[in-house]
Amino acid sequence: MLEKKIATRSRLLRAKALAFLAVSFLVSLPRPAQANDLATESRGPYLHNIPLHDVQGRVISPPALLSDDGKPQDAKTSPYSTAQTCGKCHEYENISQGWHFNAAQPNIKPGRPGEPWILTDPATHTQIPLSYRGWAGTFKPAEIGLTDYQFLTNFAHHLPGGGVGDPAKIDTADPEMGRMQITGALEIDCLICHLSTGRYDHEDRFTAIKGEDFRWAPSVAAGLGTFASFRSAGSIADQWHPGRPVPSTLPAIKYDRARFDPDNNVVFQVTRRPPANNCYYCHTSETALDDSRWHSDQDVHLRAGMICVDCHRNGLDHMIVRGYEGEAKDRTVNDAMVALRTRMIRRDSSMSEDEARTRAGQQLESEQGEIATLSCRGCHMSGRLGSPKLIHRGLPPIHFEKLSCTACHSGPFPASQPAFVHTSLAHKLGLPAQARGKNTAPVIVEPVFLYDANTRIEPYKMVWPSYWARLKDGKIMPLLPREAAKEATFPKQETTDAPRDPYFSEPFTDSQIQHVLQSFPDDAAKGQAVFIAAGKLYRLDRTTLVSEESDFAKPYAWALAHDVRPASQALGARGCSDCHSGDTPLYFSTVVARGPVDPTNGISKAMWQLRGKDNTVASVFAFTFKFRLLLKCIVFSCSFIVLAVLVHYGLRGVGTITSSKSQ
Amino acid sequence: MKRCAKTTYGLMALAGIVLAATGIGTFALGSPPMTHWMLMAHVAAAPLFALGIAGVALTWSGCSTSGADSGLTTAAKGLLWIILLCGLIVMLSGIVPMTPVFGTRGQHLLYLTHRYAGIVLAIAVLAHAPMVFKSRARNVD
Repeated sequence: MLEKKIATRSRLLRAKALAFLAVSFLVSLPRPAQANDLATESRGPYLHNIPLHDVQGRVISPPALLSDDGKPQDAKTSPYSTAQTCGKCHEYENISQGWHFNAAQPNIKPGRPGEPWILTDPATHTQIPLSYRGWAGTFKPAEIGLTDYQFLTNFAHHLPGGGVGDPAKIDTADPEMGRMQITGALEIDCLICHLSTGRYDHEDRFTAIKGEDFRWAPSVAAGLGTFASFRSAGSIADQWHPGRPVPSTLPAIKYDRARFDPDNNVVFQVTRRPPANNCYYCHTSETALDDSRWHSDQDVHLRAGMICVDCHRNGLDHMIVRGYEGEAKDRTVNDAMVALRTRMIRRDSSMSEDEARTRAGQQLESEQGEIATLSCRGCHMSGRLGSPKLIHRGLPPIHFEKLSCTACHSGPFPASQPAFVHTSLAHKLGLPAQARGKNTAPVIVEPVFLYDANTRIEPYKMVWPSYWARLKDGKIMPLLPREAAKEATFPKQETTDAPRDPYFSEPFTDSQIQHVLQSFPDDAAKGQAVFIAAGKLYRLDRTTLVSEESDFAKPYAWALAHDVRPASQALGARGCSDCHSGDTPLYFSTVVARGPVDPTNGISKAMWQLRGKDNTVASVFAFTFKFRLLLKCIVFSCSFIVLAVLVHYGLRGVGTITSSKSQ
Repeated sequence: MKRCAKTTYGLMALAGIVLAATGIGTFALGSPPMTHWMLMAHVAAAPLFALGIAGVALTWSGCSTSGADSGLTTAAKGLLWIILLCGLIVMLSGIVPMTPVFGTRGQHLLYLTHRYAGIVLAIAVLAHAPMVFKSRARNVD
């Protein structure tokens, strides 16, 4: 028995030694990291007690506690690189094609319009919806003159890294991108989602990112150590000029020695199924504002014990399922996904590379269809995860053709006006800041009931763009806040008012807009200065301010799906009059265009108008519901009469037949 | 034949025309299911049809029994019972979905039942009406 144990132990030791040798060999590999396909293939989590690697792929081993001459020394050394550390076993390149990271990549299908990044500036009252995906109603950053680097510095606080933060190649001649030689790239920080301890420090990451310490951010946020310099990488980059050699002494991370074991391994408690709190940092959407958060019931699925990734799943490629109907056709099967699958196929088969690639492509395409079962309808029709089957007693099936599931079940219960909503991406939720008010820019409202691509009514979030621009030959060119501020004079907030209203949410008056427009220099080459806000275009007609509804000022809307309310709180649970009445929010709720102007100056429309419909049908149809009870009484009574006659004569007939037979 | 019987038959036939035009018309020519004005017209005609067919049941059933000497042919008599039976199915399958009894599957089944029973009913009325007119003309002669 003892011999058996010793033999097992020695086998284990041999395996560990081999693994160590393998890892040591891989350490010497340069970037890009090539995952070595190590996998446990178990449902149980693998203990990630692993060495850290820096961006060069070198194992990080903090200096000894005492120097050679016996003096205590700090554990200062390079920051760890997720691409090199996690990428040793996981397909970093493949993961970087995932939905969270691929927005700026070419040849990626944009999919259903989603939440944009909103460039917000309180001083100029600017809020411009941006997206690399080219969703209608948003601007691509380059279209308004925002470079990738500027985009990064504006939005990295809620970017998980990768994408424009981790370009394949750094243009060293570019005065902005060249800075990445010093600041480092903002690599995908796997721990944002996958750390299961809840100890990922977003605030520390934000501080690092504000200083453009991109390379250092993951180490600091994971609590592995602290930034060991008084000077940020950004300030070093400020003093560096493109073309000059990159400073050789860049800040270090002062590591926490307690995190390292004697072999310089660090334990990462990671999970394949991130808890909802990890998602909430970027995906919080809150309508219970101010002190009313405690009124919020949360999503019914989370209440039932599910987590976000139960439905929003992904494979190795990290193409997360967004969960809307028809998503399959919007998903891209890209080369990286095919390459990964090809490798997996060839592992089990002697198929040629070409054959395996074809098979991989076919497999991936056919798998797209399976994601349909992860939409609301797909899951509740198939009963996946024990989901309650759809019953909808008393609801005529036509409703499923006219409404999305979310229309009745998602978001706040509709009222006479949509509610103000704060989102993580727009309002930097998750980061400590002075309390945000309902008018804190960007003002977003929900639910607004519009048609989806299949002309079904669906609830949306909505934001109205607001920016200063130049209008020339019917084309508009938005001005970045800094450009607008350079060209014109803007009203300043009273310093005494700043503590009360730290986000300068006081709307511009017409006379203030007029003064700002007048302060723009006349420049025929650039075009006329205009202001877009709350659904209107403001311009000067000689010296008079004119405002009119404009296509340039159209709101941007994106479908909402959460929080899902239980069936007992769905629209229609209280009866047909939830939707079929003269004042139902679905048709008659008023949507006031919000923006940095007095709401009474903005465009105001009813839901039916926003859908481009006539309200007569809805009004008359709602009116007919007053007679619904009478209709039921008449038809049931008449049915009873007809039934009685049929039964009467039926029985008489049977009687006649039986009596004639007996005679 | 009493005036009351004629009136109820006329009411049933007129309302039936509206129902068939909106219902079968949409099924055959438009894109079912009915919505908007078409649905409202259909639902508005429904109680009239219900009253009409209930009246027909009360006034016509006696003269449509096999032994009744009403001047109606056997085919006309048989068709009336088909009209009443289909009418009952059509009415119930139209009104029951407005109550919280059946779920989506049941609702869909009722919808299909309503549609096809309605088609049979329309054919039966179309066939019955000329027979009634013919027999009436014979009686006048």
